[in-house]
Amino acid sequence: MARTVVSLTPGSADFPASNFPQLSQIDATRRRLVLAYDAATDEAAWWTFAAPQGLTAPITAIITYFMASATSGSVRFECVVEAVTDGDAIDLDAADSFDATNNAGATVPATQGNPDQISIILTNNDSMTAQDMVRVKINRDADGTTGTDDAAGDCYVTLIEIRDSG
Amino acid sequence: MAVLADSDRQRIWRGVMRLWSATRDPLPAMLKTDIKAAVDATDQWIEDNQASYNTALPIAFRTNATLAQKTLLFCAVAAMRVSAAFLRALLGEVD
Repeated sequence: MARTVVSLTPGSADFPASNFPQLSQIDATRRRLVLAYDAATDEAAWWTFAAPQGLTAPITAIITYFMASATSGSVRFECVVEAVTDGDAIDLDAADSFDATNNAGATVPATQGNPDQISIILTNNDSMTAQDMVRVKINRDADGTTGTDDAAGDCYVTLIEIRDSG
Repeated sequence: MAVLADSDRQRIWRGVMRLWSATRDPLPAMLKTDIKAAVDATDQWIEDNQASYNTALPIAFRTNATLAQKTLLFCAVAAMRVSAAFLRALLGEVD
């Protein structure tokens, strides 16, 4: 049975030095936090968490999003995983060990502002096991490297769920 | 004056998409490529019709204003057609 491993919110994201989605608050009244992923430039953010005990593959990332302006076309996201295990031979202040990319896309909702979800099966999960220090990097594939991303304007990501098969 | 470099057209493309995203302006049945094509077409239209615009200007302004001043005037009038607030953002103040 599927089980939520962790929920990743915009406010808990870490960012690279450049090309990152802007942390924005949509609507002064509703104060919904989003990461605004650009339509023209690949932008990335990442999150760190501990892989929980009992973690069971397959693992999936479910991205909840809505479009700022677009009512047609597709968006596409990539999810890349780094899983560092106790005793790994990796110099953490000088290197990372992200696995190959996982990706998926969806046709955006026909009504601007309506939510949608994209599920990315994390086949390339850097052999994530319980107790690992995990980083998950999410980027919009704005240049369409892995598939079609032709929807205009920003894509607002509101939540990312990491799910396993329990 | 030649048409803009494609890198500059891309800057316009990215900028308008960001502005329309920030204002949550719906973009029905338009893809990224459609907006870029519209930017290209607008720049080409300006290039093709600049002589006609110049001819339409009153003689005093036509003969004495610089190319930059004529272009800014064109932009200001077009910006007011968007909104006074948009023109104010460009010029600083609009009474």
